[in-house]
Amino acid sequence: MQLRYFLLLAAALFCIGIYGLITSRNAVRVLMSIELLLNAVNLNLMAFSNYLDSTLIKGQVFTVFVITVAAAEAAVGLAIVLAIYRNRDTVDMEQFNLLKW
Amino acid sequence: MAQFLLETVWLVPLYALIGGLLAIPWSPGIIRKTGPRPAGYVNLIMTFLALVHSAIALQATWSHPPQEVFLPWLSTAGLDLTIAIEISSISVGAMVVITGLNFLAQIFAIGYMEMDWGLGRFYSLLGLFEAGLCALVLCNNLFFSYVILEILTLGTYLLVGLWFSQPLVVSGARDAFLTKRVGDLFLLMGVLGLWPLAGTWNYPELAQWAQTANVDPTIITLVGLALVAGPMGKCAQFPLHLWLDEAMEGPMPSTILRNSVVVASGAWVLIKLQPVLTLSPVVSSFIVAIGAVTAIGGSLIAIAQIDVKRCLSYSVSAYMGLVFIAVGARQDEAALLLVLTHAVSAALLVMSTGGIIWNSITQDVTQLGGLWSRRPISGLAFIVGTLGLIGFPPLGGFWALLKLADGLWGTHPWLVGIVIAVNALTAFSLVREFGLIFGGKAKQMTERSPEVHWPMVLPMMILFGFVLHLPLILQALSLLPDWAILNKDVVLLLIWSTIFGCSISSVIYLSNIIPKPIRLPWKGLQDLLAYDFYTPNLYRITIIFSVAQLSKFADMIDRFVVDGIVNFVGLFSLLGGEGLKYSTSGQTQFYALTVLLGVGVLGAWVTWPFWGFQFLDLMF
Repeated sequence: MQLRYFLLLAAALFCIGIYGLITSRNAVRVLMSIELLLNAVNLNLMAFSNYLDSTLIKGQVFTVFVITVAAAEAAVGLAIVLAIYRNRDTVDMEQFNLLKW
Repeated sequence: MAQFLLETVWLVPLYALIGGLLAIPWSPGIIRKTGPRPAGYVNLIMTFLALVHSAIALQATWSHPPQEVFLPWLSTAGLDLTIAIEISSISVGAMVVITGLNFLAQIFAIGYMEMDWGLGRFYSLLGLFEAGLCALVLCNNLFFSYVILEILTLGTYLLVGLWFSQPLVVSGARDAFLTKRVGDLFLLMGVLGLWPLAGTWNYPELAQWAQTANVDPTIITLVGLALVAGPMGKCAQFPLHLWLDEAMEGPMPSTILRNSVVVASGAWVLIKLQPVLTLSPVVSSFIVAIGAVTAIGGSLIAIAQIDVKRCLSYSVSAYMGLVFIAVGARQDEAALLLVLTHAVSAALLVMSTGGIIWNSITQDVTQLGGLWSRRPISGLAFIVGTLGLIGFPPLGGFWALLKLADGLWGTHPWLVGIVIAVNALTAFSLVREFGLIFGGKAKQMTERSPEVHWPMVLPMMILFGFVLHLPLILQALSLLPDWAILNKDVVLLLIWSTIFGCSISSVIYLSNIIPKPIRLPWKGLQDLLAYDFYTPNLYRITIIFSVAQLSKFADMIDRFVVDGIVNFVGLFSLLGGEGLKYSTSGQTQFYALTVLLGVGVLGAWVTWPFWGFQFLDLMF
């Protein structure tokens, strides 16, 4: 096992997350894609922590923080989606283009 | 006293200028209650002072060598513009003629402009003219001569345009200004071109330089042609002659001044420049050719006119043409004598016809007639003016023409033929005018035509006497050619041409042998002369057309290309904003994509050294 495979896997996951983030029409799926991105970042942090900093493992501490903040962010994100849904009766991202030119 | 007046003779132009300035308050807009007449009286007083001053100075300067006075004007790096004034018997004598003629014209105007409210403007412009002409004859420097000529051009514009509510006056003033301006601008080119060659603009130094000058013939020819172009426009020579015809729309008293002295202002400069001009034989021939064409053409056109003022104006062009011939053939003294005799005689002719027009309203000679029995004074004045102008033995014009013809006899015999022909044609045209105005039966317009009142008759009579006494004056000053050395053939030819022209004209116009109005067998020729060789059309299809087309073209370039380029920049920015605003799509996901693309490109750019070359190797 080498560091680069972890990094490649994390990058692949990040790219999948990006794809989902940009193409999903459902707002919840956008939030889910963001979670994928964060998880890809966590994978990176864990891999670096394991291979490069195995004594102080600051990466793992970072990961704990990221998970925490991600949870909070997902909560707020879902609350926003709910608020929009209450007003507009839809979670279709393509209906939320009011703030254009 | 006389010596003091001689030393201060350079004040003479200032008298007239002050007179002109003092006339302004009597414009109807300033002094509203008492009428404009004092403007004339003030000017008369100032002109009289100038006349007395210059006349006494003339006595004092007679048989004294010319003096030069220098007044510093402006001195900058490398250029010293000092006003040079020449106090000689010629310049002071010319001032006497100018102030004298202006004095008479101003008295005439008191009568002629009786029912006009514009006296303030009129007299201030007459004062300006008198000042300008006096300054011109005093001025001994080409540069300041040019300055004065330009001021006089502006003065002509304003004076011809006195009655600006008439459309023909407006177009006439426009043409007078532009035509003379074109000549003046060429003159300016010549003046500027002369500086690096001669290094001076003072006439005596120019003459000295010209004696030993060794310059490229092409350059001096071009400079000389430019120097001739100014006087060509001023003296109403072909092809810059139309303005004088149209300037006849101006008031009559100013016409007296214009026909006698203003057109001579160009001739004065030409005479002063004669040493420079004769450096190039091409220029001399050009002056002679222009003069000859104008002299013949002008006198032919004068015969075919029906407007009495225009009949006279073309004769003026013709006589100025003779002056050109004289200058081109290096007959300076003949030229000056011709200018003097022409000035007094032409002024007398214009005064006489001015009086006729004042009481008979029409200027059309075909509608005038039969005035001799009722207007003997005007008629006599016209006769004396005619005889003073053409070669009629005891009077002035004879001596001037004789001197010219005599001087030409040895060098340019064929020019003598032109002088003789112009004399005969002018005699014909003036006698024709006399016959049509004073001879024959009274027409409807002249049925009741009383003689004019004294302010118009008095100057006419004074000038009448002056024209009659001119030969005596010239003889007293020993300016007449010596009878003993004269070529008798020339004398006879001149007298015969006068008799010939006068008698043919008398037979045609003073008798009833030929029915009037006269029709030439070739109507085309008659129209050609009557319409002044169609000069307005000629101007319109050549210069005016090309300048107008060029202006339109330049205007289009300005509107569409220059403005277009600048407007395109603005339009481009506008369209850029209008088009690029659609990048703000309102889709959050699109923004996210943009951010990622930005980060990706930036990252690729920053990390290019680490992978770029391998990537390029891989690709290519």
